Amino acid sequence: MLVLVVIDGVDVPEDGADSVDHAGELLLRVADGDQAAFARLYDMLSPRAFGLILRVLVDRSQSEEVLQEVFLEIWQSAARFAPNKGQGRSWVLTIAHRRAVDRVRSAQASTDRDVRAGFRDMDVAHDGVAEEVELRIEGQRVSEALATLPDPQREAITLAYFGGYSQSEIAALVGAPLGTIKTRMRDGLSRLRVEMGVTS
Amino acid sequence: MNEQEFVELTAGYALHALSPDDERAFETARRQHPEWEHHVTTDAETAALLADSVSDVAPPPSLRGALLAQISGATPQAADESLTVPATALRADRRTTTPEPEPEAAVKPRRRRAQTWFALAASLALLVGVGWGAVFVGERLNTPASVVALDEIQSAPDAQSETVSLSDGGEVTAHWSESVGKAVLVSDGLPTIADDESFELWFVRDGAAIPAGLFTSDDGTATALLDGPIESGDVIAVTIEPAGGSPTGQPTSDPIVAIETA
Repeated sequence: MLVLVVIDGVDVPEDGADSVDHAGELLLRVADGDQAAFARLYDMLSPRAFGLILRVLVDRSQSEEVLQEVFLEIWQSAARFAPNKGQGRSWVLTIAHRRAVDRVRSAQASTDRDVRAGFRDMDVAHDGVAEEVELRIEGQRVSEALATLPDPQREAITLAYFGGYSQSEIAALVGAPLGTIKTRMRDGLSRLRVEMGVTS
Repeated sequence: MNEQEFVELTAGYALHALSPDDERAFETARRQHPEWEHHVTTDAETAALLADSVSDVAPPPSLRGALLAQISGATPQAADESLTVPATALRADRRTTTPEPEPEAAVKPRRRRAQTWFALAASLALLVGVGWGAVFVGERLNTPASVVALDEIQSAPDAQSETVSLSDGGEVTAHWSESVGKAVLVSDGLPTIADDESFELWFVRDGAAIPAGLFTSDDGTATALLDGPIESGDVIAVTIEPAGGSPTGQPTSDPIVAIETA
């Protein structure tokens, strides 16, 4: 039996050779209707996708629903994955993130979200908001990269990505003009890209 | 929008944080300028790395089984955007307890129909279902195939039927049996349609509509056998389409009948 050891869908060899996009290869097979490839892709990425969805949504049963929606969307639209436009892993996690945020913005989820973040009822200073989100950052490489960002940029990115807040919501939350939030997000993401060595 | 303005938005897009207005403007510019796509890709890759900061959480094992069953059924794969199943339809199929605001879909403009149709079909089934019951079908039988099929269904141990009322007083009953694998629709009081139109039958399965044949009616009555096997959980739907059936293979109008068979 062939045992393939894969970490999160991307092998990054020590010698610095091109990384192998296992998730991307599986997606190409999924696009051809390969159910076994779909099962492997699910096994490879569903724990990470579920962790992300759960982080954004908090509610477990809704997170399970969204995870199912995400993988059905992957099955149905794998043909739209373009290997020359990014990693398969990113493609999957992007779908998971968008679906999770869409759900958190829906009326059903707003109550949980208000309870969790406490923005609507409590007059939380925005420093506290960023702190609350930051406390739960665990990945070392990412947290190191985030730590290099000026506070306002980190706050804008974490509130958007993990909190599911839109730019205009963030502007209202932290009391800054929308244009300022856009710029912070732009500059912050660019800096993260450099820190984490993303090339394109 | 120039490239600088576009790049200002790609970060917010990658974080899924644009306002609806900004997102529309962004998508328009993106279509017009494929040469700017690398900005989108780079930011998407960067944003996806943020997911590395969350802990893996194993989803419940039952979810894997449910998904694999769904894809091994008839969930179609799409080559283009239009066939992506809306989240609302998936939720409706799974019968979650959260009520959906889908009845509003009936009054949405025609251009929204592609997005709302499946969810609407699912909700109609809930709205108009009036319970179980056999219906007298005797003289309405008009095609041998449907007569034979209806007999087969009604003699099966798992024969089921459900009747719904049409908005203008007609009645439509679906008869089906999973062991026989067939479904027949018996209609009375169907709306009058133009000579160049026909009724088209659909199975709505996992949020996707599968064509199941055409029928017409001279006097508002019809008995029609759906093409293809019925599967557990299918919604049987009828739309009015151009004669010969929907040219796209997908419904082009809202269903006049939607019956949930679960």
